[in-house]
Amino acid sequence: MLKPTMLMRGLSIIWLVIFIFFLALPLGAVVVKSFEGVDGWTLHNYEQALTSGKFKEAFFNSVWVSTIAAVITTVLAFLLAYTVHFTNVAKPIKKFIRLGVTLPMLLPTITYGFVLIYAFGNQGIFSRLFGQPLFTIYGFNGLVIGYVLYTLPAAFLLMHNAMQYMDHRFIIVSHLMGDGKWRRFYHTILRPMLSPIGGAFILAFILSFTDYGIPASVGGTYDVIATTLYQTMLGSIPSFSQGAVISMAMLAPAVLGMIMMGILERGNVSYKSLSQQVAFASTTKTVLFGSGSVIVVLALIAVFTPLIIVPFTTAYPFDFDFTLAHFQAVIQMPELMNVYRNSLLVAIGTALVGVVLAFVAGLLSARTKLKSRQAFDVMAMITNAVPGMVLGLGYLFFFNNSSLKGTFFIIIAYTIIHFFTTPFLMVKNALQKMDPSWEVTGALLRDSWLKTIYRIILPNVKKTLIEVFSYYFINAMVTVSGVIFLVTTHTVLVSTKIKELQHFSKFNEIFILSLFILVTNILVKVVCEFYINRQSKRG
Amino acid sequence: MNKKAMGFLTVASSAIVLAACGSSSANSNDQVIIYSNADDEAIEVMQNTLNEKGFEGEYIIQSVGTSELGGKLLAEGKSIEADVVTMASYYIDSADAQHEMFLDLTSSQALIDEMSNVQLPILGNVGSIFINTEMLAQKGLDTPTSIKDLTNPQYKNLISIPNIMDSSTGWLLVQAVIAEYGEQEGQQILADLIQNVGPHLESSGSGPIKKVKTGEVPIGFGLRAQAIDAKEEGLPIDTIDPIEGNYSLVESVAVIDKEDDEKEQKAQEIALTIANEARVQLLTQYPVALYEGESVSDEPAYLKKWATTLTVELLQQHQAIFEAAKQ
Repeated sequence: MLKPTMLMRGLSIIWLVIFIFFLALPLGAVVVKSFEGVDGWTLHNYEQALTSGKFKEAFFNSVWVSTIAAVITTVLAFLLAYTVHFTNVAKPIKKFIRLGVTLPMLLPTITYGFVLIYAFGNQGIFSRLFGQPLFTIYGFNGLVIGYVLYTLPAAFLLMHNAMQYMDHRFIIVSHLMGDGKWRRFYHTILRPMLSPIGGAFILAFILSFTDYGIPASVGGTYDVIATTLYQTMLGSIPSFSQGAVISMAMLAPAVLGMIMMGILERGNVSYKSLSQQVAFASTTKTVLFGSGSVIVVLALIAVFTPLIIVPFTTAYPFDFDFTLAHFQAVIQMPELMNVYRNSLLVAIGTALVGVVLAFVAGLLSARTKLKSRQAFDVMAMITNAVPGMVLGLGYLFFFNNSSLKGTFFIIIAYTIIHFFTTPFLMVKNALQKMDPSWEVTGALLRDSWLKTIYRIILPNVKKTLIEVFSYYFINAMVTVSGVIFLVTTHTVLVSTKIKELQHFSKFNEIFILSLFILVTNILVKVVCEFYINRQSKRG
Repeated sequence: MNKKAMGFLTVASSAIVLAACGSSSANSNDQVIIYSNADDEAIEVMQNTLNEKGFEGEYIIQSVGTSELGGKLLAEGKSIEADVVTMASYYIDSADAQHEMFLDLTSSQALIDEMSNVQLPILGNVGSIFINTEMLAQKGLDTPTSIKDLTNPQYKNLISIPNIMDSSTGWLLVQAVIAEYGEQEGQQILADLIQNVGPHLESSGSGPIKKVKTGEVPIGFGLRAQAIDAKEEGLPIDTIDPIEGNYSLVESVAVIDKEDDEKEQKAQEIALTIANEARVQLLTQYPVALYEGESVSDEPAYLKKWATTLTVELLQQHQAIFEAAKQ
């Protein structure tokens, strides 16, 4: 590794300033606000929140419903990942499972709620199919289903990733040693997977606990903490200091979860070499897990069918004739098309700037000896733990009186910081795997650091950067939670417009806008995959 | 530095510039921004009127829920993004008392009820019960005549009402109940009603009519005008004026004092156009006379007004009663 140069130090200082300005200070503003009283510092805000029955109820509702959802998600994600890695299910089916389960990631969570109403409500597609509603969709049930849909992709990817690095030869050895089924399952799969399973549970819990979109659409009278925060901040009688206290409460389980995740990580099992040859998967197991997983994924996709049915029927549920009238009406509304352009601008801006920032942070952290490089790991940890709503609120408090208020810049900055963890880790991991002596070799050949980066590092990390681009783009398109506090008339995004249309129950528009997001995200994903594949073939 | 390295830096910096440009183009706009809590039908009338009077492209209407807009007015004062708001009159008064944030507006017509001079009324919202007649018959239910009737167990989970915590339409219901039965009995009636409503307590005032229209529930409480519209669309919907009274809320237009003369003038012109020119059409949709000389057909049977001036403080009291009834 090279000795730190002025350039490296300069870049790192720039990054640290960004970090302080767009993460530390806004969060500090939330903390300060929570202790702010009419005259000076006070604990009164906390006292008030803790004695309020409404707040306590919402908090425990959130804990309870998120726990149930996280348990279901963890079990499902494990089964799906297990099917993909440890059975002989045909390759196309495995691919179908892998792609199908990640579908919900391409839509805002607020859309799921509306889709659920039209799938399982009194007039829902499935209710009509079965002659009556199967269950009440508003409140607890809707929240659990919505949260499972929302968290399953992330939990699945986590386990899928962990199973990729498991050595299947241990299973063969276990077979040869004549272990019983359960003993083999426990020692070769469950025990090495304990840490990712725990991680998936915590992840699913935190995502559910802090999500705003699903309760906003399907929560009914079941109050959860995210809707309470929204009501407190933007309700009829707003209280900013109470909002700050609720934010702090929202932060607590997330921070706890991050700490537990750190502890779990120590239990990680690592393998010296890998063999992905699937070992002795019996036909029964293959059929059982294969069909089970396919049913789960089909059910998941089926939930989203109202999205392509409702907006294309004349007047659901009275007139089922096919029509493009609603679609045309939306396209012709100048205001809605503006909103779509806004979203594209934010997504592209976030993705482009995000790639640069994640790359620089990863580079400084993985390939320099800078003392400040640990700051990037700390920052990644923090952004992972801070819920979007809390960060958004921090921005509202901190930038309220600045000229940045109400600009696209602030929305892009928020989105980059909020989703920073994954891109940073992707870049860092990719850079760490590269030969550590490249820069030194470059320096010996009298290439500058920048030149080495450009000629050697960048080409090798291109694939990862495209993945980062796609990650940032998609998340910027679907995020609602924090940006609801930041958008103004000129910067309304598709996802926040959906929230607004809810006010008038304009479901056709809601679904068509959701389709806009979905199709855009699929396009970006396909184009990015195409480039990644081309890179792989070349490499 | 070679060309390629330069190229990389150019891409990186242009990305940042692009983001920055996006933000500046958003600010360089001199359109008058109107925040409105009105229904989309009313917004359409305002839009058509403004466009006819030559304001097309010079304004942008942003719909915001009543409680959200109220919260913004109280919290942000003059620094609110909007130049003009159309909003429940009591909120405009409360916000003005706190922040002195509105300009004076004078109308050419005389008002029936006295109002503060920072606002001009544009429509009156009236609450009523409405039913989906087909569904009611299908389920063999009695037709209710009062809000108290709705507490009958036969309607369990079959009624949708707006939540007073988020919607001013919800307040119309609470006003009727408290005025008729007093706070104590009123709270009990609300408690029984909320029990019956179950999952159909809506955060938006137009939630109940949508649910009754789509047949999610046979009975709802909400804006009378919307139910009449639905009936005119040919849907099996009837309005029932509850014997407790059809209470009404006035919505007004007001101009925010932005200390920017040019834009302020345009904002005032737009506000006056909404108040004076859109009124005729709004009156047919919301049949409550607000200016002297206005006549309405199809007036609600039990039109009533709360005895004292409506204020945010009164709303808070009624919200507390509602919340207590919810427990």
